Amino acid sequence: MANVAGATTSNGSGTVHVFWLSGMSCDGCSISMIGATTPSIEDLSLASIPGVPRLVMHHPMLSDDAGSDFMQAYRDAADGTLGQPYVLVVEGSVPDDQAMDGAGHFAAMGLGSDWPRSRGSGVAAEQPVKTSDWIWALAPGAVVTIAIGTCATWGGIPAAAGNVTRSMGLSDYLGKDYRSTRGLPVVNVPGCAPIGDNFMETLKELLRVGDAGKTVLEFDDLGRPMWMFGETVHRHCPKAGYYEEGVFAEEPGDNQCLVEIGCWGPVVLCNIVERGAINHMGGCMVAGGACIGCTMPGFPDKYSPFYKAPPGSFISGHASRTTGAVIRRLRRISMANGNREPLWDNAGDVASGWGLAAAISNPTSKVNSFFYKKLQYRGTVNHAKRNKYQPLPKSRDILRQKGVDLEASTPVLQEHVRTREEL
Amino acid sequence: MSIQTEPSAARTSAAATDTRFSPVTRVSGLLAVDATPDFGSRTVGDAALVTTAFRGYENILAGRDARDAVFVSSRACGVCGSAHALASSLAMDMACGVQPPPMAVVVRNFLAATECLYDHPTHLFGRAGPDFSEAIVRETSPELWKRAEGTRAPRVGYHGYATVAEIMAALTPYSGIAHRTALAMSRIAREAFVLLGGKYPHPQTTTPGGLSATVDTQDLNLAYLRVTRFFDYGRQVVALWDDLTDFMLEADPRYAEVGAAPINLLDLGLWDDPYAYDGSIENASMWGGQRWSTPGAIVDGKLQTTDLLQLDVGIEEFVDRSFYDEWGSGMFAIDPVGNPLSERHPYNKRTIPQPGRVDTQGRYSWSTAARWNGHPMETGPHARLWISALAASQPHTRFIETTGSSVRLHVPSGNMPAGTVEWRVPDRLNALERNRARAYALLHAAVVAYENVVIALDLARSRGSDARIFTPYEIPRDHVVGAGYWGGGRGAITHHLQIDGRVIDNYQIIGPSTFSGSPRDGAGTPGPCETAIAATPLVTADPGERGIDVLRAIRSFDLCMFCASH
Repeated sequence: MANVAGATTSNGSGTVHVFWLSGMSCDGCSISMIGATTPSIEDLSLASIPGVPRLVMHHPMLSDDAGSDFMQAYRDAADGTLGQPYVLVVEGSVPDDQAMDGAGHFAAMGLGSDWPRSRGSGVAAEQPVKTSDWIWALAPGAVVTIAIGTCATWGGIPAAAGNVTRSMGLSDYLGKDYRSTRGLPVVNVPGCAPIGDNFMETLKELLRVGDAGKTVLEFDDLGRPMWMFGETVHRHCPKAGYYEEGVFAEEPGDNQCLVEIGCWGPVVLCNIVERGAINHMGGCMVAGGACIGCTMPGFPDKYSPFYKAPPGSFISGHASRTTGAVIRRLRRISMANGNREPLWDNAGDVASGWGLAAAISNPTSKVNSFFYKKLQYRGTVNHAKRNKYQPLPKSRDILRQKGVDLEASTPVLQEHVRTREEL
Repeated sequence: MSIQTEPSAARTSAAATDTRFSPVTRVSGLLAVDATPDFGSRTVGDAALVTTAFRGYENILAGRDARDAVFVSSRACGVCGSAHALASSLAMDMACGVQPPPMAVVVRNFLAATECLYDHPTHLFGRAGPDFSEAIVRETSPELWKRAEGTRAPRVGYHGYATVAEIMAALTPYSGIAHRTALAMSRIAREAFVLLGGKYPHPQTTTPGGLSATVDTQDLNLAYLRVTRFFDYGRQVVALWDDLTDFMLEADPRYAEVGAAPINLLDLGLWDDPYAYDGSIENASMWGGQRWSTPGAIVDGKLQTTDLLQLDVGIEEFVDRSFYDEWGSGMFAIDPVGNPLSERHPYNKRTIPQPGRVDTQGRYSWSTAARWNGHPMETGPHARLWISALAASQPHTRFIETTGSSVRLHVPSGNMPAGTVEWRVPDRLNALERNRARAYALLHAAVVAYENVVIALDLARSRGSDARIFTPYEIPRDHVVGAGYWGGGRGAITHHLQIDGRVIDNYQIIGPSTFSGSPRDGAGTPGPCETAIAATPLVTADPGERGIDVLRAIRSFDLCMFCASH
């Protein structure tokens, strides 16, 4: 039994190094990663998850060592002398600074004196080493290479129109023939910033030893974990029901479907509305924010201007308005019926002190209810029919029966009561 | 200690380059520091802060539809992962002449405060704290460790650690309980944030005119219950850092020299009064002064001004020692209300990157050198408290009182009874006091978050027009300008933008570390962190010559080089 790192001893433990590199990054992916809880960085660093090796994280934001002490492990890994397997994680897009040799960098870490001798002469001892150099030196020996965030996966904002760094995603930089030592192309966990748990779960799954023998992880044709990026975010969106009923937000802050104020959710692959941003809290549309496609290769240029309705919403929005208007009204009729306990139908009044609720007894609703029940109980028994013969409970309205003085009860203040608006 | 402004001759040869701090870890972004600790004389001398990343955000923003401003500029930094989005929203408010409703202002305040609730523990226990942990202290100073083992922690009643050694053990990453608690609490703060911000970093509900957030009572209650957990936690953190700081200063008074710097502090204020903020530049002095923390500049320990507009016109950026070309003259001799502007003011600046070799005697950083009235300025939570304390002009709130020499925080009860916690302006500015102030800033942010969520709950129940979250706006067709004066966990942020024909013509970002982590300016004056490193004596025995005191000095600034250079 082995995980993708092949780093396990017989009991499924062991040590795997993670080398983190920042290119055209904002550190937001690192911040997301530190926020993750399934698993958390402390879980992985302390090896507290069965079947998952201990992670030694070499990360410029987290490591205790600084300077050449910190770079030593990077150098050993590139020289092939680390002695333990490693994962390469790249955050941020890769700038096109290879051609600037000797004349600067767009992203750099460590000095020329840290450069692995097995990889050529590199740069002058006192000059910074480009992130893009570390990437080509470390990627071939990595058991798996993960691009975290939309910049590293596809290019993201540093690769947007007008950039002067000619940045690109990691797969563009390494080329489509790249394979890690375990035979995997770059694994892509997109998002700007990504959900931290999406990354940590992917990392954990890549390193976990399967109890059932050889486990196969599925990725889509762009290397995204299929179990996370298999669906459009709209399908699980809490506001998708509004879309179905043809009701749309007119301005930010409105509760309805956000498509017309610039939400691209129906055509974006993302799981944030079901997973939440952190610990199942938040999520863009959950909180009222429109999806701007930040997990997608086309982000940002193909999803902007932001806060402008996507062109596709013109047709689909009109269609859902038309059908939604009918569906919505039919649903309200069913809802109104279901919003009453059968006892209230029998008694002809609603046991609510809130003052506004009335029993449903008008002729239209009776006709509706008749046909509705015909359909509901077709092919089965109408158990609810027996409600009609059910005697009213004798102790109903007990306070009045006991003679407790209720005349003193004051009417409920109207500001506590809000009528249910018909949508 | 004298501060040389140019590297000495001995430092010019490549062989002399020290490799100890390239990169500096446990800061944000890519930073190398060129400095050579001399363990013979136990001094450091010159230092150069080399920011080694540039992404071109300002160049990408120019030429885009102005509606892209907030979501693109947010991505400049993911560590103060909402501060830039909000600064950009404020700049757009000003450019478009839109006043967000009170609910939007208090929810923005809430987002900024909960961001601090994640950011302050992250710095105290993830960046600065490990340098005082058992693992590091045992290795670098066995005598200090022995002393810590024998020193009772006087505030044990608050934090539960009987000795200073127990505190140090708790600071050890992952295995230490204080480190793990900080991770857990920073996640709770983020939960509160995303309830209204959607995600973190890079919130999805920010917009000019207010917020695109569906604020309901359930969200506010979930947020309320998370924020109130920070009352007890904040008092534990304050007690822990008070005990640790007092111990270090008693163990060796020279620790007061580690990271010592002139008291030059800048902050633009944070958290707007929902009934004062109108987004306009005409009233900026008024609404700026009404903020929960007061804008201001302190030079040599003396408060210079608390006027937001005077603060703005004093800002300049220099690229003499940075990888950019000069941009010639700008188009604004005065700001929109008639104050004269320098050629180096962000409204006049253009971003013309020019990569090159690192040359500490010439150009060496991707960060520009941001200055105020010519002075290198520190910014950060210590500046925020310091300015509010000296100004003593902040409007009365139920929980914060400023006295002229201190900030009193009236902390509501949690499991601990309600009580007053007072941060007093220290005699001097150094690494330990920066860290200590940050601990108090955590409680400060907690009561601000609490007060704002309480106002939001009341507004939500009022159902009036003040409870709206958004004011519709139009982006003007003509040439307009706007600025967002705001801040993140690590200090002041400005966004200056110009819009022409609804398209961004120029966009300029200054992050906290463009001030704190700046390189030398045109006059050769080092940036604040460079000065602090040069002033740092090597107090700790440090047999392995890690340069631990230098690292403590650097990390006390909580630098973020992606904020510094975009």
